[in-house]
Amino acid sequence: MRLLAGLGLIGLLLLFVWERVDIVRVGYHVERLKTRKIVLQREQDELRVKVSALTAPDRLARTATEKLGMVPPQPGQVILVNATDAVPAPGEPPLPEVRMAKSERYWKKP
Amino acid sequence: MTGADPFRGRRIVLAVLLMAGFAVVLGRLVHLQVLQAAELSVKADRQHQKSVTVEGNRGAIYDRRGKVLAMNMEVPSVFGVPASLENPSGTARDLARVLRVRADEIEKKLRQERNFVWIARKVDPEQGRRLERLSLEGIGTVMEGRRFYPKGPLLSHVLGFAGMDGQGLEGVERRYEPYLRGEKRNIVLQRDALGRTVFPKGLTEQGPSSGHNLTLTIDEIIQYIAEKELDDAVTAAQAKGGVVIVMEPKTGAVLAMAMTPRFDPNAVRGLVPDRWRNRVVTDAYEPGSTMKIFLAAAALEERAMKPTSMIYAENGQMTVAGTVIHDHDKSKWITFAQAIQRSSNVAAAKTAMVLGEERLFRYLRAFGFGERTEIDLPGEVAGLVKEPREWGRRTLASVAMGQEIGVTALQLATAVSAVANGGWLMRPYVVSEVRDGSGQLIAQVTPQVRRRPITAETAQTLGTILEGAVTAGTGSKAAVAGYRVAGKTGTAQKIDPETGAYSPALSVASFAGYVPAEDPRLTIVVIIDEPQGDAWGGVVAAPVFRRIAEQALPYLGVSSQDPIKLALAERAGIGMAP
Repeated sequence: MRLLAGLGLIGLLLLFVWERVDIVRVGYHVERLKTRKIVLQREQDELRVKVSALTAPDRLARTATEKLGMVPPQPGQVILVNATDAVPAPGEPPLPEVRMAKSERYWKKP
Repeated sequence: MTGADPFRGRRIVLAVLLMAGFAVVLGRLVHLQVLQAAELSVKADRQHQKSVTVEGNRGAIYDRRGKVLAMNMEVPSVFGVPASLENPSGTARDLARVLRVRADEIEKKLRQERNFVWIARKVDPEQGRRLERLSLEGIGTVMEGRRFYPKGPLLSHVLGFAGMDGQGLEGVERRYEPYLRGEKRNIVLQRDALGRTVFPKGLTEQGPSSGHNLTLTIDEIIQYIAEKELDDAVTAAQAKGGVVIVMEPKTGAVLAMAMTPRFDPNAVRGLVPDRWRNRVVTDAYEPGSTMKIFLAAAALEERAMKPTSMIYAENGQMTVAGTVIHDHDKSKWITFAQAIQRSSNVAAAKTAMVLGEERLFRYLRAFGFGERTEIDLPGEVAGLVKEPREWGRRTLASVAMGQEIGVTALQLATAVSAVANGGWLMRPYVVSEVRDGSGQLIAQVTPQVRRRPITAETAQTLGTILEGAVTAGTGSKAAVAGYRVAGKTGTAQKIDPETGAYSPALSVASFAGYVPAEDPRLTIVVIIDEPQGDAWGGVVAAPVFRRIAEQALPYLGVSSQDPIKLALAERAGIGMAP
């Protein structure tokens, strides 16, 4: 009985020590992953900036006209038949969510 | 056995010594654990924990279609530890090759008797990687946030820029600073014996949140078209500069705000503040004949004039308060509509006299002149519209021609939009949405009506007159094949700062209009400052309007009136009346 109690106590102590060591080990791992995430995030940001710079309209226009010999379409060369608006047409004011400005100081209709 | 213990004395001495020793240890223990507990606990925390202030990334700025216009990126800043350098001149030479800075300047820094010197702040990531590969002794890097504007000078006056410390200093960057700025938070980290970070003190502790992202109403493509056409016109006319505004008349959303000359917000060091001033909102100018749009609106709304009302144009010359007013055309009897379309100053002065000072002033203010448009950009001025009691004998006629009044380009665009959309004066805006880092909507801007200066009927009548100004008047070069255009030219003499009088050589040429006239999608205002040669608004500014509209309308999917017929006519080289 005493032996079992002693072994149990030692087991608990070992469990406690193992838990503390594992917390530290996982802590180091978390930090390594965080660093990796930061590096990847920086890389992603750098690529986004590059993509944005490379797709700048003036660069695309220059490349298209100077390198590829393209020309802008002349009036009449772009035909829109039953065109659906790429951007939803803005609603007719006053829209339901349109707010009236408070200042009416100079505007009094006779 | 007597029982006498020969070692008893020694044992007692040993016991006393041991007890004394234990007492000392116990005393020290009590001293450390009880008396000095608080102080030592703080000291231990200081050694095991590291407190750092971390700032979240500044939010990004996108155009209306989600294209990146400004964003933050962490880049290396290079520092040196002069004390640990053996060969400062050799290190300076290596650094100079990578950083493209003069070697002697770097060497000067490295020879300072200091423990730490900045060599270059916020350099390009590629330069940082090259430095890392070199692994120079006594040289290190730390990462810092740097603002990037990938499109360079595109939209520079609207975006503004952020300073070295990441604070917005101009434009949208400044106006929306509270939204864009990342959160600052103090984080406590646990350190091991080697000083490495193990994990934050609280495992649930979150890093600081980044700033909010802004979506603009600006369209990158329309902005590019506007800037390119403006640049070409300014160069061709050898002008001092110019501005263009493209606006959705029904909402007040600004699609493009172009200025020449521009600047690169990535490299503002050394530039004078005048270079980055957004002149669309900060500069008021005398608009000239574009002001006749609002004179006509007032006259029609007040029923002081009808399009068919006859006005005697005095053969193109009339004296008002001792000053002679001239017309470009020498007309006699003309209709009110023709007076606007031909831009008759004499007829405009007579119309203003019929309206009277009070009514004209009231309509000018109703159209938003003399007050800020309340656009979400910093530095806006109200312009100048004097109260009638301050008007001189000639002022009524002058204001009718767009003189003795100061308006901003934005006020003009907003007021023209009011005519285009049936009479509603909208609040212009450049930011449509604010979202947090995870994409959650924080704020959304909805179109806002400020007031209604004219009725829909007046707006429609005026629109017909302004269409005539393009088909048969001074604005013929603004005509866009296949679309109905309404607009008005303006040519205003500038005051010579040396003489204080109107200069015969300096002028501002402008065109303000909207398209398609029957269902306006775009209001476009073009202003060219001090063009040389044939400096009329109809010659210099109207073609810019046409070229922008020709490209922007198909891009927005706005079909022409008769696309097939137009295309066939163009192909046959016949051309088509607009």
